Amino acid sequence: MKILLVEDNERVRKFVSKGLEEAGHTVDVADNGRDGLFLAASERYEVIVMDRMLPGDIDGLAIIEALRKAGHRTPILILSALSDVDERIKGLRSGGDDYLTKPFAFGELLARLDALTRRAQGDGAQTALQVDDLRMDLLGRKVVRGDRTIALQPREFKLLEYLMRHAGQVVTRTMLLENVWDYHFDPQTNVVDVHISKLRQKIDAEFERPLLKTVRNAGYMISAEPR
Amino acid sequence: MSGLSTPLPELAGGAHARSGLGWPHVARVIRSSAVALALGYVLFGCAALVLFAAPLRYAWQASVEDFRIQVLREDSQRFEEVFRLRGADGLAAFIGERVGMQIAGERILLLADAHLKRLAGNLPAWPAGVPAQPGTYTVPVMLGGQRAMSTLVRTTLPGGYNLLVGRNVERFAPIEHWFWVGLAGALAVLSVAGVLGALLIRRALLTRIHSIQQTAAAIMQGDLSHRLPARRRGDELDTLAQTINRMLEQIEQLVHGIANVSNSIAHDLRTPLAELRSRLEELSLTRPAPPETFAEIDAAVSDVDSVIRMFNALLRLAEIDAGMRRSEFVEVDAADLAAKAVEFYLPAAELKNLSLSFRERGAMLLRGDRLLLAQAINNLIDNALKYVPEGGTIRVEVQRGSGDAIAIAVLDNGPGIPDAEKPKAAQRFYRGDSSRGTPGVGLGLSLVEAIAKLHGGALALADNHPGLSAQMTLGGGTPEAEPRVASGRAVAVSATPTATAFDRVTS
Repeated sequence: MKILLVEDNERVRKFVSKGLEEAGHTVDVADNGRDGLFLAASERYEVIVMDRMLPGDIDGLAIIEALRKAGHRTPILILSALSDVDERIKGLRSGGDDYLTKPFAFGELLARLDALTRRAQGDGAQTALQVDDLRMDLLGRKVVRGDRTIALQPREFKLLEYLMRHAGQVVTRTMLLENVWDYHFDPQTNVVDVHISKLRQKIDAEFERPLLKTVRNAGYMISAEPR
Repeated sequence: MSGLSTPLPELAGGAHARSGLGWPHVARVIRSSAVALALGYVLFGCAALVLFAAPLRYAWQASVEDFRIQVLREDSQRFEEVFRLRGADGLAAFIGERVGMQIAGERILLLADAHLKRLAGNLPAWPAGVPAQPGTYTVPVMLGGQRAMSTLVRTTLPGGYNLLVGRNVERFAPIEHWFWVGLAGALAVLSVAGVLGALLIRRALLTRIHSIQQTAAAIMQGDLSHRLPARRRGDELDTLAQTINRMLEQIEQLVHGIANVSNSIAHDLRTPLAELRSRLEELSLTRPAPPETFAEIDAAVSDVDSVIRMFNALLRLAEIDAGMRRSEFVEVDAADLAAKAVEFYLPAAELKNLSLSFRERGAMLLRGDRLLLAQAINNLIDNALKYVPEGGTIRVEVQRGSGDAIAIAVLDNGPGIPDAEKPKAAQRFYRGDSSRGTPGVGLGLSLVEAIAKLHGGALALADNHPGLSAQMTLGGGTPEAEPRVASGRAVAVSATPTATAFDRVTS
């Protein structure tokens, strides 16, 4: 993936770009708003990581708005030290697609970038999701693995759906809290883990191949490939 | 009021000394709102007086005048009759008789021939200034050697004779004169009284405002304990003073709160930061083998995450304390939030063999911050999950109270909180003795209390016999700070069940 990183803090910039490159992506960097805007407008990127506070009191949100007005639809992830929910809403309204507060775990950033690009490729109107022999019927609200029907409660269904929509990608606990439970705060206990293990009981325990995997220090992933 | 822009000493001087009045001083006085108001009233009063007096005067004049003239015309007609019956000589004699009978010129009578030569009457000659046509005129005549303004009715009789019947109206002049004098007098009295009153009011107002100014100055010097004097008169200035006093209470509390928080932060964040530092320093000194080193580094990252979480929570608390989030209130269904929270924690509860339930009672709508309320409910349930031992019961209830108030309660049958600790439980960083060894930094309950307060309510911890009842009441009135003892944060927490607007959530 070709990624543009606009971040003025040198340490963060180096840390993130190195990490992204090690994950197999190509990274262009800009340490100020003007260069960032220029690069974003003139090159094709699959995703842009934009810091909100840029030198010269330039607001990253203003750059995002300018890009959107000019018709660029590249997904943009906003990095910000402002953690308030209202700031998050402001960021998303300006045209950002996701919002990550500093300090952040690199795994979180990586997982969200993957999720953004997957979304950009468009899921469209799907009626079913499938990973290996696990099949989820979105219309009939049914889950089947192999020849066995699995009974799931509504929240478990929502959880599995999110995981399957991001099949093959790392999904962090924070992403799950935000998208499955609409909780934009950290409950500080690993309740999500308990939900995952319960789900795992239902869809993996009695089957040969485990699909729901734990990614150390990152989150979870549903995938057919052995890890 | 422009008078307030002057420094204090001059203000005090101005309130007493009226000497040395230059135009600037007078202009300033006039511009003061009390005086302007009073002058406005005075002008209004004068205008009202004039508006009242003018129609009155003209009405009086018209009716009196009309009556007078009517009488004169009737008289005139009577004389005409006499003329027809007895002729000019008869009329002249008649007039002579009448004049003789009068006491003091009540009637002016004059009969003249076609050449205006006097024939009979009490005027020496045909008065000048009487127009040629028959009609009613008011002209000066010589009556009894004196000039007198008179109203005359002139009639023409057959044969060219001219008759004047009239009345001396000079007598009424004084009445009119006194009418105008009276009106002017009233206006003058009104004006003087108004101006005096204005000055007196201004002085009274300025004295009170002066005392407010002095208190404000003392407060700005840094002594927040001052309060504005409020006489128990219940007038607008008193209300203002009381409102400002309440504001000062709140500010004093916030300032003390901030001082407390700074102390708490300094004290309680130092510990994990110190631990982190020594961990890293030890790593740097001992330089163990890579696997162990990386394990230590992972642990250090985890430590930093803890500190970050603590910062976030403190920041959130500070925002809530400052009331910054109140403007974002929307309509929220507390029952829905509670149900979602229970659903979220259910697997965790099952893991510990705890029964966690929520009693549906329909939607419970209130205006609030969705995120904060969700966080508060989550915190209460989280706490219960942490401290209730295996096999216990946790119940979540949402009830409507009096007015718009809503109560959200989490009840458990765990060890509860000892009465002595209840007031302290919601203090920042407070962790009860029984909590040693469990994860968490002790901010959960203080966050819940802050959120409850933000929504115009409170957190109440009570005995559930056995266990703990943690009840958050919301929206039971306007979120104004009541003056209260600045004893720290745990004011709304009761050690014993208090009689609130709700039934104790038991059964």
